Amino acid sequence: MTSIATEQAGEMLISKTERTESQVVRDIEHGETVGEPLMEDAKMSVRNTDVFYGDKQAIFGVDLDIGKNQVIAMIGPSGCGKSTFLRCLNRMNDTVEGCRVSGELTLDGSDIYSKKMDVVALRARIGMVFQKPNPFPKSIYDNVAYGPRLHGLASRRGELDEIVENSLRRASLWDEVKDRLHSPGTGLSGGQQQRLCIARAIAVSPEVILMDEPCSALDPIATARIEELIAELRENYTIAIVTHSMQQAARVSQRTAYFHLGHLVEVNDTEKVFTSPEHELTEAYITGRFG
Amino acid sequence: MTDQAKAPVESTIDKVNKTLARRYRAEKRFRLYGMLSIGFGLLALVVLFTDIISKGKGAFLQSYIQLEVTYDSDVLGVYDVNDEDQMALANFEGVVKQALRNRFPEVSSRKDKKELYQLASLGAAFELRKQLTADPQLLGKTETLWLLADDDIDTYYKTIGGEEFIGATSDKQRAWTKSLVDADEIELKFNINFFTRGDSREPELAGIWGAAKGSFFTLLITLVLSFPIGVAAAIYLEEFAPKNKWTDLIEVNINNLAAVPSIIFGLLGLAVFINFFHTPRSTPIVAGLVLTLMTLPTIIISSRAAIKAVPPSIRQAAMGMGASPMQVVLHHVLPLAMPGMLTGSIIGMAQALGESAPLLMIGLVAFVVDVPGAINDPATVLPVQIYLWADSPERAFVEKTSAAIMVLLAFLIAMNTLAVFLRKRLERRW
Repeated sequence: MTSIATEQAGEMLISKTERTESQVVRDIEHGETVGEPLMEDAKMSVRNTDVFYGDKQAIFGVDLDIGKNQVIAMIGPSGCGKSTFLRCLNRMNDTVEGCRVSGELTLDGSDIYSKKMDVVALRARIGMVFQKPNPFPKSIYDNVAYGPRLHGLASRRGELDEIVENSLRRASLWDEVKDRLHSPGTGLSGGQQQRLCIARAIAVSPEVILMDEPCSALDPIATARIEELIAELRENYTIAIVTHSMQQAARVSQRTAYFHLGHLVEVNDTEKVFTSPEHELTEAYITGRFG
Repeated sequence: MTDQAKAPVESTIDKVNKTLARRYRAEKRFRLYGMLSIGFGLLALVVLFTDIISKGKGAFLQSYIQLEVTYDSDVLGVYDVNDEDQMALANFEGVVKQALRNRFPEVSSRKDKKELYQLASLGAAFELRKQLTADPQLLGKTETLWLLADDDIDTYYKTIGGEEFIGATSDKQRAWTKSLVDADEIELKFNINFFTRGDSREPELAGIWGAAKGSFFTLLITLVLSFPIGVAAAIYLEEFAPKNKWTDLIEVNINNLAAVPSIIFGLLGLAVFINFFHTPRSTPIVAGLVLTLMTLPTIIISSRAAIKAVPPSIRQAAMGMGASPMQVVLHHVLPLAMPGMLTGSIIGMAQALGESAPLLMIGLVAFVVDVPGAINDPATVLPVQIYLWADSPERAFVEKTSAAIMVLLAFLIAMNTLAVFLRKRLERRW
């Protein structure tokens, strides 16, 4: 009896998946995003954005607003373009050979990709934390002080010390490293290294922090600490996080955007996405039917 | 059923065991091959070093003859030491000859006297001039001094007791030498001339200092020019240049240049630097320019490899912090790539130090007695000096050649040690 029931369930699952896949084709043709991608008083807004790598199009006509002092999570299967999209937001794609971004991306109403926008200034306002912890092979102090020194934020030594301490405190790393500020940052554990990278990013007081799967190389305990940290940082910063973990997206974010094959499929409040997704693809993904 | 099921399982293990034994044998064999080739290499090295050291060690000692020397005013023609004209014309050779005649009073015929005078080197007279200039009180006094012996006598004296090398010495000269030996009036002293003088036609006066200084100036110019140019080229090609067919073409050409025979660079230097730009020939500056051309490809290739080895995550981190491309290079890429760059450069320098072929083309093969004092003084370099001495007919130059090789090897070992030290020192751990 039980085996028959499983078979039936399996058939149902297959038929549902098949339907979803035909849906994918239709979606790509229509390219409509369901939910509420746009909002009032957005920190960053993205309109009609395409990204190409050479001849290959990676992002198709995305419209999205990123709200102030909010965490927006971007989820989706591997290769769906969520990291590419994130890297467009602080022009990290500029360095990729053959990468082209079109459309309108603004930060507080000013165009990120305009000729007048200075990349250096932009990246001081939009910080980034990468997938793999990548501290500089320098001391912990120098890692955090790098940004402030680069942009001339501190005029005195004491001021710099203050910035370093505050950044490390906000990244909840201070108590662990205060006695060894001048030992190499690469000697820390993986989770500490990632928090050091977050401290380094917030040392220049950016307005937006982009996080590209910041916990994928970390164990659950380190992940939990980073998640707590994100929740605290939200009070002062706008955060966009790419993650593979749906639980993480559910825990840390207020809004969730689901990407599929370069299309932005659905954007809604996180609670809504994970309880009653509007789009079938989203539902299929969050219930683990594909991805 | 169970038997059938069991049998293949056992045979699989047997098969594995059989191949295991074969694999271990192959591994052992491979280790043996490796040890054999290393052993062969070491043996070759030991043979080379033994040969060079056994031939060259004699050059560090030189024969000196003890003579009673009288600074006789009449023989010298010097009555006032402060008179420069008198000193310039002074006959110090006469003083040496007189001392030899006094030591061997029995020599009377003109021919014998001529042979007798050949016991002492020309350097003996130079030494006396130096002594008298330093201390004018010596004029008219008699002193017992150790004077430099001629190279033929030196070679003969060094082989006494073994297979005697007669060479150009006459029977009488050998007899006189023996009598000096019996009287303990000839002995080997440390050959300071070898380390302080330039080249000479007289082996006992020939030194390596001129060539060593020439090599030093040449390498200095090579380093000052090729390191910054090479590193700048490598950084541009790796970090800034667009990747297209032009940069591909440049890369292929750089790799080709690294394999061009060095004598071609010599011809190029002759045509461009000497004939077109009229750079003074036979000088460290033109040698340094030619060796720069030769070393550049090596430095560029090793620097590019070092830059490529810097993890991209560091570049991204710096760019994400808002560093400009130049700052990314200066703050992160360059410090991390520096050990590799330095190692490559020092290896290139060591190659340049041992290079002689291109330098023959631009006149560094000239016979230069004076020790060069600047980069535009005529000079020669260590490998060319070795070539020149190896080419000389005097037997005494054989040991000088080997000694010069030892000096060159010492330079090379010092440079490679420095390379290892710098790499260890600058390497950062991840």
